[in-house]
Amino acid sequence: MTHEKIILATEGKENQRSIDTYLANGGYTAIKKAAKMDRKAIIDLVKASGLRGRGGAGFPTGLKWSFVPPDDGKPKYLICNNDESEPGTFKDRHISSVNPHMIIEGMLIGGYTVGAEKGYIYSRWEFQLEIGYLEQAIKEAYEAGFLGQNIFGSGINFELDHYSGAGAYICGEETGLISSLEGKKGQPKLKPPFPALEGYLRRPTVVNNTETFCNIPHIITHGAEVFRRYGTEKSPGTKLFSISGALNRPGVYEVPLGYSLKKLIEEDCGGLKDGKKIKAVVPGGMSAPLLMPAQVETATLDYECMQEMGSMLGSGAIMIIDDQQDVVDLLRITTDFFAHESCGQCTPCREGTGWLKNLVNGILEGTEGPAAVDRIYQVADHMEGRTICALSDAAAWPAKSYVKNFGEEIKAYIEKKGNRA
Amino acid sequence: MSETVTFKLNGKDVSVPKGWTVMKAAAKEGVEIPHFCYHEGLSIAGVCRFCMVKVEGRPKLEIACNLQATEGMVVSTTEDEVKEAHKWALEFHLINHPLDCPICDQAGECSLQDYYMSVGKYESEMTRPKVLKPKALDVGDQLVLDTERCILCSRCVRFEEEITKTDALGIFNRGDRATIGTYPDKRLEHNYQTNLVDICPVGAFTSKDFRFKQRVWFLKDKKAICPGCSTGCEVDVYGKPEDSHYYRIKPRHSEVNGHWMCDKGRYYYDHMNPVGRLRKAISGIEGSRKFVDTDEAIADLARKISNSSVSDMALLVSPQYTNEEYAALLEFFVTQMGVKNVYQWREPTESTEDFDGILYRGDHNANTAGLAAALKAVGLENNIENQFDDLAKSGAKLVVALAPELSSTYPSLKEQINKLEELPFVSMWTIDGKVFEYPGINHAIPMKGFAEKKGSFIGHSGVRKLEQPFPAGNEHARDLVETVEALTKVMAHL
Repeated sequence: MTHEKIILATEGKENQRSIDTYLANGGYTAIKKAAKMDRKAIIDLVKASGLRGRGGAGFPTGLKWSFVPPDDGKPKYLICNNDESEPGTFKDRHISSVNPHMIIEGMLIGGYTVGAEKGYIYSRWEFQLEIGYLEQAIKEAYEAGFLGQNIFGSGINFELDHYSGAGAYICGEETGLISSLEGKKGQPKLKPPFPALEGYLRRPTVVNNTETFCNIPHIITHGAEVFRRYGTEKSPGTKLFSISGALNRPGVYEVPLGYSLKKLIEEDCGGLKDGKKIKAVVPGGMSAPLLMPAQVETATLDYECMQEMGSMLGSGAIMIIDDQQDVVDLLRITTDFFAHESCGQCTPCREGTGWLKNLVNGILEGTEGPAAVDRIYQVADHMEGRTICALSDAAAWPAKSYVKNFGEEIKAYIEKKGNRA
Repeated sequence: MSETVTFKLNGKDVSVPKGWTVMKAAAKEGVEIPHFCYHEGLSIAGVCRFCMVKVEGRPKLEIACNLQATEGMVVSTTEDEVKEAHKWALEFHLINHPLDCPICDQAGECSLQDYYMSVGKYESEMTRPKVLKPKALDVGDQLVLDTERCILCSRCVRFEEEITKTDALGIFNRGDRATIGTYPDKRLEHNYQTNLVDICPVGAFTSKDFRFKQRVWFLKDKKAICPGCSTGCEVDVYGKPEDSHYYRIKPRHSEVNGHWMCDKGRYYYDHMNPVGRLRKAISGIEGSRKFVDTDEAIADLARKISNSSVSDMALLVSPQYTNEEYAALLEFFVTQMGVKNVYQWREPTESTEDFDGILYRGDHNANTAGLAAALKAVGLENNIENQFDDLAKSGAKLVVALAPELSSTYPSLKEQINKLEELPFVSMWTIDGKVFEYPGINHAIPMKGFAEKKGSFIGHSGVRKLEQPFPAGNEHARDLVETVEALTKVMAHL
């Protein structure tokens, strides 16, 4: 199946990530158009497009930009969050490797709109190849006069740098990222104040996801209405999904929001391998609650459907759990991950993630009895909505979901281990 | 008038200045919202997640420490949801805490213990082994750190960043392995370390000085003013009057010193303890020196005074006594008897104008200004130069020397006392037992310590009052007012 691609427009072309290919596909024309527009008009346009942040939370981008206070002569910053760390997510990596100039153009427009003359692309440390691609793209853009001072005579100044942390999941949280960029330990900051008012170096800062920026040139060029032709009323546009599991064709797919999950699995990805069956689907990265097979039948890939089904679209990382996988082991991988990645700042997350991990590992070791299953739920329940950032929630949701959907299976596992303590 | 906002706290209307947090407003109202990381003297961290309150109309509970009170806001700290959140927040803090209260100095004044009694009282759900971390770390001259007891509230880190600006502490590693510690090659070296013991809500930081010495519930505390420098921090002195023993000094919140005090001040209880304190009066008037009752020594001195000519008498006065004491002393010797030779006992090495920018001042006397004022009141000049030399040259035959209470603030003390050796008769009024080591001292009266008397100092920021005296740790000790009173009585009958 082929879909019209906005973000992955150059995918598969020769020299797909070079500036020449990007320019040949109409690249860097949106910024020229934007440069002639009023800043407020751009914000209104982005608002009208209904673009929602693609990093996971789905916050309306135009609204986020509108929070930035007017110029006061001091610097403001624009940051591209390319610290894609949610297990199962690999779409921003793909964009970085396929279409890095689109990120830069999106940032240029964003920078002009919010009045930021300095931008950073913050990539996760493990993206060593893609960091090279991004640095190359930044170099090309400087050489072509799209970055720097008074670019193409428009009066717009925008300097762009690349930065990467040390590989912490938490640096994907925008204030954790800002702390890391400031050279501090990657820990989220207490809000309020929000980054739009006090962010990087305590100056107004906008942090958007890589994919979010990539939607901007299209919106500027074609307008909100064209953008809204894709997707649903509340979730307009296309979205990249990184889909993994025992599929015939796993990978990154750009499809309109509202696309059928089943269709994506069966048609685009060619269904499950070796006659395996779906046991559950993680629709939005490891932290998203599970969708059960009956839900998969009717699920559409948009923010509202996922919310209705008690899960979330998140970063668009779809992981297929098949009938040959062991849920206790999956739960262990999940709880180990969050215990490893909790920054340790807020008590419920610091202690709760460790507690969950220990309980699940206790089940695997055979030292925990059936009571551990309810306790996992209870502990997770009290981690939820109690912390500075959403990592605690991200750890709690899947734990609760595993217990809710597979509690009996986990108890049977404990039974088999012979521990009734 | 600053703008005020009115909001409802547990059903009651509360008006506070705009910008106040719910935490601050609640404290003012006497509503206790449990907290660990919040400290009035530090920035807001919002990490312990204990101070959860319910705000009507908001889906999630909010932390009171970072929640600005706004007009019409309806806040509850008593709903079941809030109570449950408090209970669980406490449980999260306790699951990896070693619970070694029986050997922990903090026991009895530990936030974990107090909150367990007020919002906890549950059976722990924890079944897993606890995370183990380094213990008994020597992180500074004053401190021992137990990282297992630490609940990672980050108060100490913020203190280092914001108050002393020394940045020696950090939280290392992540998740439940997160551990408080010093940066590589860093050590706590400043003069404010023991404040970390105070602000640590648990027993992670303990004071090397106080460690394992006393259970806090056996101690009584009385308000006093630190005598160690001209700042005059408000403090609480902790002692066990039944044992005539003092154990520690802690700062008491005031405008003068905020929440803090320096480490030097922490030790100004030791001179009042039996070891090292002058336990009885000394009189050497009849033959060799011997310990005598204070009244007897005073009577001996009275006789000596009445047999001396006023011009042969001199006073040597240090600025570590109260205004009331100076008034009594100078009234007796200067106004009534007419003694003109009054010298000040000052430490020549001190630079009185020094200030460390936080609290500690170079004038290591609590009452320099008070002494100057008292001298002026009796028509004497406030000379401080060459006082010992002038005294030696004066040919005084009877000297009453009022020694500094804190010998440790006078590095030249020994040298100075040796200068008195040439004088025929020196009566030293002092708390310091080492007086007996100086052959030039013929007579001594044991003095009370600052925590044992009422009175006032004139510190850097004005009058500082001592109002809650302990009973004297030594029954033979007197303050100046009592000594002068006794002298007057005896003299009247001579």
